[in-house]
Formats: sequence, structure tokens, C-alpha cells
Amino acid sequence: MQAAMQQTGPILYQDMKRAILVVDDEDINRELLGAILDSDGCYNVLYAADGIEAMALIKEHYQSISAVLLDLLMPNMDGFEVIQAIKVDENYRRIPIIVLTSERQAEVKSLEMGAADFIPKPYDVPAVILARVKRTIELSEDRTVIQAMERDSLTGLLAKEFFFEYSTVTKHFYKNKDMDAVVLNIDHFHLINEIYGRETGDQVLQTIAKTIYQFVRDNEGTAARGEGDTFLLYIKRQSDYEPLLNLISNDLADLSDQIHAHVRMGVYQKTSGDSDIAAIFDRANRACNTIRGNFQQSIAYYDQELQKDAIFAERLIHDIHDGIEEKQFKVYYQPKYDIQSEVPVLKSAEALVRWQHPEFGMIPPGSFISLFEENGLIQKVDHFVWRQVAEHMRDWKAKYSKVVPISVNMSRIDVFDPGLESKLMGLMTEFGLSPTDFHLEITESAYSENSDQIISLIAKLRSDGFIVEMDDFGAGYSSLNMLTSMPIDVLKMDMTFVRNMHKDEKQLKMIEMIMEIADFLSVPVVAEGVEDEEQYEFLKKVGCDLIQGYYFSKPVPEEEFEQLLREMNQ
Amino acid sequence: MLTVDAMKAFGADTETALTRCAGSEALYLRLVGKVPDSEDFDKLEAAVKAKDYDAAFNLAHGLKGILLNLSITPIADPVSEMTELLRSRKDMDYSPYIQKMQAERKKLTELCKS
Repeated sequence: MQAAMQQTGPILYQDMKRAILVVDDEDINRELLGAILDSDGCYNVLYAADGIEAMALIKEHYQSISAVLLDLLMPNMDGFEVIQAIKVDENYRRIPIIVLTSERQAEVKSLEMGAADFIPKPYDVPAVILARVKRTIELSEDRTVIQAMERDSLTGLLAKEFFFEYSTVTKHFYKNKDMDAVVLNIDHFHLINEIYGRETGDQVLQTIAKTIYQFVRDNEGTAARGEGDTFLLYIKRQSDYEPLLNLISNDLADLSDQIHAHVRMGVYQKTSGDSDIAAIFDRANRACNTIRGNFQQSIAYYDQELQKDAIFAERLIHDIHDGIEEKQFKVYYQPKYDIQSEVPVLKSAEALVRWQHPEFGMIPPGSFISLFEENGLIQKVDHFVWRQVAEHMRDWKAKYSKVVPISVNMSRIDVFDPGLESKLMGLMTEFGLSPTDFHLEITESAYSENSDQIISLIAKLRSDGFIVEMDDFGAGYSSLNMLTSMPIDVLKMDMTFVRNMHKDEKQLKMIEMIMEIADFLSVPVVAEGVEDEEQYEFLKKVGCDLIQGYYFSKPVPEEEFEQLLREMNQ
Repeated sequence: MLTVDAMKAFGADTETALTRCAGSEALYLRLVGKVPDSEDFDKLEAAVKAKDYDAAFNLAHGLKGILLNLSITPIADPVSEMTELLRSRKDMDYSPYIQKMQAERKKLTELCKS
């Protein structure tokens, strides 16, 4: 019996229909099944009368065939041989096979060989057959999508989300097994990309991934590629991670003797007590971050110290709301003095925040600013400070004829807040202030992140009358080209220049260069962190306009600062 | 001309078969019309006579599939019984089954011609 092909050419989704291959040596059965499939209106049906015809059609249309409905007892090449031929072929393997049979034994055997489902003979009611076919195709298509997404395309390792899923399942079934979570990444990977090109950077990642893949296979684990140059491993407890580091170093050396990539690892051991896989990897990651940029150390373990830090951080995050409500946050003012006049004159001050915590006492900003910057909570603190400053200024203005402007800090998240301008203007109105009373300190690195957006925002704030200071200048990566287009009023030199100026000649030269840039831009320079006479004299000599630091005054509470204003007004 | 009623009178389970044909009488009657012409009936008879039970089983199994799919019960019954016996390659006298099968096939041929 010759089977006729109903369709030729590309079959998939022709008129949005899926292609199905029906293989049966009995033409009556083929036609009957074809009629059932046709009645659904969702399929284009191809027909084959035996295994040889079937394989020829599969070879031609394998990319578009959504399912094969396969009879088992056929002349020439039977159904089992067809299953075998489909399952061993890389290209055909994904095509689901539904076996048509009246034999129980055959059902089991074909399922074991990789068939997705079976349709018993004599055929069931069409609705049942159609439902089974539909379900099989759905499952297979879902699996294809999942397989495409579950792996990172560059390295072939699992994608992070799937890795977390798999690790959670592994954890559930191997409760008593000691597992380690490892986060691995490369110091300054972007430099490898920049210096040697992206292709080489990719090769480095692929090499590391290959080594890791072998390692986790040998150690009952799984591995994933996280963002960028980060790798995640979930493996059986290891007493030492040096061997893995050595394997990676050797393989990278084989790749090229030019590239020196410093790999660092954060390890969280004995994870069995924790249930949340993302939290486990957060810990490994935290350990890994402690040795960022430290070329002496390559492996860091999550230990009690880090755990204590993490618990402390959690407490601070938990307590911030009460801290603001109960005004535990205090604004301190560090004066800035004009040093180019005869005697230094109080010109302005920077508002700095402290946290008078009911349990931990006075917490310095270094302990919470970067933490709150990470999770966006810094905005709450910033808003609190701005309001406090506005309130203080209103009071001072009522008492004194002369009041100096106060600069407040803006975090990255403030800068990207579309409501920033109206918030600031609202404060001015509420407290009867002028924008010129408020200086806004924006860190240099925020400028380089999204310069177009920042430029237009700052232009708007300046046209409102605010004075904008670029903070930490020299620590970021502003290009000179960018600086010329940047609308700013003041440059604040990064503290490290002043702090290191004793160390060598180069640092002094750097300060002079910054002074020249400021001169070119026609903006004044503020030097922070000035602590001694020598620093002061040098800065005065090279033309620095304003100085802030312990040499004149540490940050002081509001009452003390008010005393300075009082003296200035006398 | 063959009709559904004639098939029903012949003993076929037309209701089930029609459901299987997605409700199409035309398809059902067209497929039933092909059955008596199948060479497999005569091949089965010859294989059984020659005691070629492997070939006989394959032929009986194939016919059974078609006959049950179209619910042509009078022919399907002897073929199904034969299939089960042939599955274990039982050496016996199959002529009663063959005669019954051919007799019912002949009736169906008549129905198709009428």
C-alpha cells in the first residue's frame, strides 16, 4: 500500500498549523487518523506507509515536524526501528513519538525506548486522541523552550534561574549531604575585554566554564554562569578549593600566556541548615566581595565575622523606619572655609548624617550608607536630611541676617528619581528658602553612568537656581571631553588626593592638574579631608578656593554650627 | 449503494465507528468500501494453509486493526480470535475461522455492490 504525501515543501506552522507525520502500513488506518487530526483544524498531516518512508520524510522535514504517530507492526522497517533511528539522531531526537498499538507489551517497550505516549487500537474517540496529541506537542515544545533557556549560550553552563531551581531540588532530596556554595569571578574582567577584545574575553569565560564543568561533574555538583564574569557552583563539600583554582589557572595559561586573570572565590560551606538557595549564594557572594581587588588572596570563606556583619546589616535595614520616625538620624555640619582671603572665612558647610541608634549608639555613616545605597533605602535617609537641613536653615534665617549655604548629598537613586526637582522645589517653598541656599553634591561616578540624563537634570536644577557640586572628583572615570559638556558649579576634589599628598610627588602633581582643570572650567575647587598645616599651605599655594576638614573643624552638631553662624553675624 | 443502515443490519457497530470517523458518514462508507477488496484476507488464508504462522499473525493482526477501527464486528470477531491463537503460533486447524471470515467478507462485498 503506497502512502501519498498530502503536503510538500516547508510544513511547520503552515497556516499556523503544526505538521504531524502518521506512519501506518494500513491505508484505512492512516486515512482514519488523518480524518481525526483534520477535524481539529490545527494540523497538516504527512503520511508514510512504513519505517523507510517515514525516515525519508523525517530527514526532509525534521525541523518542522511536531509529532510522529507511529504504528509498530509494519513491513520493511518496523516502529521500534523508527523509534531507535529518531532517538539516536541529534536533530530528530526532540520530535515526540506517539505509538499506535493494541499490544500492552509493545506499549511498555516503546515508552522505554523513548516514545512520549501511545494511542491504543482500535482508536479511542477522536476527542481523546486529539487531546493526547495536543498535550504531547505542548510538553515537547515547552521542553524545547526550556532547554533553549536553561543554558547560558556562551558557556553551556546552566543559566542562573534554572541553576537555583535545580539546586533547590537537589537540596530537598539530599538533605543530609554537606554541600558548598561557591561564587567565583574575575577581578577587573572588563579590562580583559577592553585590552584583548571581547572575543578573547569570551574565550576566557569559556575556558573557565569548561574547567568548572569538569570539576562539578567529578564532585557531584552543578554549575551556572551568573551575570558577566560570575560563576556559581553547588557541590559536595570540599576541604580545599586550591585544586580548583590551580586547574583554572593552568587552563587559562594554556589559552594564552599573555592574559593574567585573577580569579577569586567566595565559599559558603555546610549549607544544609539553610533552606533558601538564593540566600546561600548571597553569603558566598558576600565572602567573595571581601577579597575584591586583593591580589594576595583568592579564596574567602563565609565565616562568623561575615555572618555578624550580615546580621548587623539586617538589623539596620529593619530599624531604618523607626530611626527616621523617631529622628534617631542626626544632621551634622562640617564647615567649608574660603582660604584665598586674608583670614579663612566660613563660606558654607556640608550636611552629614549620623545615626544615634538606641541600641548600637552612634553609628558612623560608613556603616550604613553603602548598605542603604545597595537597596535604595538611602533615599529615605537623604530625604530626611534635606528636610532637617531646610528646617534648620529656616530657623537660622529667622535669627541671623547672614546665613551660609549648606550642601546636601544626592545619591544615585535620587538623581534618577523623576520627581527630584519638584521635591526640592517643594522643600524650598515649604520652608521659605531660595534654591541658592542649597548646594547639591552629586558624586562623579553618577555622572558617568548615565551622562545624558544627568546633564539634562542638572541643567534643569541649575536653571532653578541650585548650585551643583561634583563630589569625589578624580575618583571616577570622567573624561575631559565629558567635563566640558557638564554643567557644574563647583569641583570637590576626592579626599584621597589630599590624604596621599605627603606620600609622593605624583600626588602633588595630580592636585595641581585638578586645579588646572577647574581653572579651565572656571569653577572653584573644594578640598576635603584637610587635616594639617602642610596640606593647608600647599592647597592655598596652588589656588584651592575652599577647604573642608579636621584642620578647621570636624563635623559638628547643629547647635555647635549655629554658634559659628552667631559669631559670623557679630 | 452501501448505507449506514445496511451496515447496522449487517451487525457493524456503526455508532462507534462513526464517532471514530469524526462523524463523517461519507468517510465511514468510503473506508468500509475498501475493506472487501483487501488482498490480505486471501493472503491470510494462504499463509495459514502453508502453516506460515509468522506471516499469518502479521496479516491477521493488521486486518484486526482495520476491522476493529471500523467496528465491522462480524468479520472482526473471527479475525481477532485467530490473531490471539496465532500470536503463540499455535499449530491447529484454522479453517472454521477462515470460513467464517470469508463468508462475512462475501456478505460485505454483496452489500457494497447492491
